[in-house]
Amino acid sequence: MTFTGLVGRICLFPLRAIIRACVVLQIHPNVLTFVGVLINFAAAWALALGRFVTAGFIMIVANIFDFIDGKVAVELGQVSEFGGFWDSVIDRFSDIALFIGLIYLYSHLGRTDYVMITSLAMMFSIMTSYTRARAESLIAKCKVGFMERPERIVLFMIGAFTNRMAGVLWVILVLSIFTVADRIILTYRELRTTGREAVV
Amino acid sequence: MKNPATLPGRVLWNAFFWTYERATWQYDLMVIAILAFVWLTPPDWLGDPTAHGSGPIGWLLDRLR
Repeated sequence: MTFTGLVGRICLFPLRAIIRACVVLQIHPNVLTFVGVLINFAAAWALALGRFVTAGFIMIVANIFDFIDGKVAVELGQVSEFGGFWDSVIDRFSDIALFIGLIYLYSHLGRTDYVMITSLAMMFSIMTSYTRARAESLIAKCKVGFMERPERIVLFMIGAFTNRMAGVLWVILVLSIFTVADRIILTYRELRTTGREAVV
Repeated sequence: MKNPATLPGRVLWNAFFWTYERATWQYDLMVIAILAFVWLTPPDWLGDPTAHGSGPIGWLLDRLR
């Protein structure tokens, strides 16, 4: 058992009870997804005000909703293609909202350098999702690169709770650039292997 | 995907071209490296707009001086 595997198992324990409660109450998974993004907007607002610890707690609540929606959909037998699409779209709103909160804060503090770093981190975070979605319309699977959404969210929480947001933004930026590059390289090589890149 | 021939080259390439799943020892190692960077790097070195001070590394350097 690895360290991160153990942390995942410990976190899953209380979540099972919440998933069971949502199943008993027959809450539609798409509603859970939507509630999650609304709570994330509140977290973004707290970030914008520089209230990092409050934002951290709100992010925990928001991401519980984000995590359980898919599991509740499976338990209720309500898995649908639209649900997957809706979840992906709403996730992007949640991601962008948190970055905008930080951009507001840094511009309010007159820190143009960190406005730029946060904006670039936001750009590459969005491109991380886009490159995979676009690649998987051309090749079977494009799951390479470290910095995916769960890693980003956990890093945001660590940055918020320990007031180390600058370090977190640098990590998100650099690893998101690598992730986007990985996905472009993989897609290029896969298409070249199958001889399809000549057509593109 | 073709890997570089030397060990350091392979390590660097595998860290850049990340294909490991979560909950593997490679993932744990990356997480430790990230947390070390975030928590140990002095906020002043990064020009952190909301945190100040020299952090654990700065404290250690001060002790060694």
